[in-house]
Amino acid sequence: MSADLSDLRPVHVVGIGLHPYRRGSETPYVDLGLTAVREALADAGMAWADVESSFVGNVNLGFASGRVMLRHLGATGIPMAQVENASASGSTAFAQACLDVASGIREVSLALGVDKPALPDLAPTKTGIRDLTASRLLPVAHFALLADEYMHRYGHRAEDLAAVAVKNHHNGALNPNAQRRRTRTLDEVMGEAPLAGVLTRLQCCPIGEGAAAAIVASDDAIDRLALDPARAVRVLASVTRTERVYAAGHDHDAALTAETGALAFGQAGISPQEIDVLEVHDAFSIEELLYIEALGLCDPGTAPLRLSQGAWEIGGECAVSPSGGLLAMGHPIGPTGVGQIVEITRQLRGEAAPRQHPGSRIGLAHMVGVGAVCVIHILAAR
Amino acid sequence: MPQPISAQPTLYPAGPPGSAARLRGRRCAACGYVFFPPQDFGCERCGAAADQLVPAELKGTGTLLACVTVYFHPLQEPTTPFTVASILLDDGPAIRSLLVGAGETEAQCLEPGLRMQAVLTPAGTDSEGTEIVELRFAPAGPGTRDVG
Repeated sequence: MSADLSDLRPVHVVGIGLHPYRRGSETPYVDLGLTAVREALADAGMAWADVESSFVGNVNLGFASGRVMLRHLGATGIPMAQVENASASGSTAFAQACLDVASGIREVSLALGVDKPALPDLAPTKTGIRDLTASRLLPVAHFALLADEYMHRYGHRAEDLAAVAVKNHHNGALNPNAQRRRTRTLDEVMGEAPLAGVLTRLQCCPIGEGAAAAIVASDDAIDRLALDPARAVRVLASVTRTERVYAAGHDHDAALTAETGALAFGQAGISPQEIDVLEVHDAFSIEELLYIEALGLCDPGTAPLRLSQGAWEIGGECAVSPSGGLLAMGHPIGPTGVGQIVEITRQLRGEAAPRQHPGSRIGLAHMVGVGAVCVIHILAAR
Repeated sequence: MPQPISAQPTLYPAGPPGSAARLRGRRCAACGYVFFPPQDFGCERCGAAADQLVPAELKGTGTLLACVTVYFHPLQEPTTPFTVASILLDDGPAIRSLLVGAGETEAQCLEPGLRMQAVLTPAGTDSEGTEIVELRFAPAGPGTRDVG
């Protein structure tokens, strides 16, 4: 019989760490990854020797990236594997670490996302299936088309989309680990030439380098290692889904997010309205609006109005992308999904000043990846 | 004068420049799913293998879902700006295609719901001087609205 996380023993995030996201540099990825892991170990108050397995998410480093980096923490011989799942690689590494502990196989596991910018080597271009637009449609054009459809369907304007970027750049300016740390006015966001449709540069995420680490542990490990249980954050749900065949002409990204979200809410036993902190795959401004609605936080077409009323700001009804999101914190690919867990953990612990969302109890992390895949985790404060 | 050749013969047959185009899709004999672009690996909806996937000629008519001009494109071609559209074909699949003339000028974007027609447009010549035609979409008629 199959089981999900709610059938297994509790698993908690006990340590988090980051290497700041930034433009690509000459720094070896080993430095980036070790910085994040050492910070996570210190945050948890444990030693590397306490970690029993590790999953390393990345897409651009090439094969065998994990041990050649992690051996510098002391070669303890633990199982290690690399995880590639497009933009959701870090999210999937985290899912694997959670299952490793929840299943009872390990007491403590590490999820690490680390990456460097590179020209993508995309398997979907190697399937042998040709399309009319072959090499012509980049992600920005895909999401600009979804934006065009959304604006026409609900009568929204370009400004309504740009307002997402204004909010997320504001949040990113409060995050020392963000790649973009400048507040931007609506005029600044809209003032640049669009890349496609209405999407200007500041409504598209920067792709740079960085690392993010999350250590998960069982209740037994928290006791045995004398970790601070008050700072542990419970993982209530972990759901991964892939695209099915939806009705032609429907937005498959939103449909996939909706069905993955419904399963995650069921697993966690909560409703969308109970989410205090939300990190979504806002690689483009339009995506944040589509996913807020697909997850059921508000009715279809109403996310821009709620945004204008302050509902998605820090201090609003639900803080959406308090880290700055992919738009401002950045999207180094491998780290991104783990970085969402880091931000949500910080928020649920109440340690996210100066961007702390008051009263944060429940957070949701959402990533989609080319293919398409969708990974959602729901976390809860103790 | 030799007949024009298709820029992507697996996706659409050639014809005179300016003529209406058809698309080469597939229909799954097991579940009835109609899809484009064509492939013979297996049916995405039911998993039937190649022996169940039969060629299906799709009419080049449909309804505009969305349309945007692309201003930034780091790949070699086409040169920017160009305009790309999502179109729901009358025969089932939703596809993405460039619009007629969109490579030369910043095309004006069109309203969703507009009736669209695939046409073969000149796309240069091959090394032997044979004319190449490329499939693009254009509005089926001025202001024609889909009321279906």
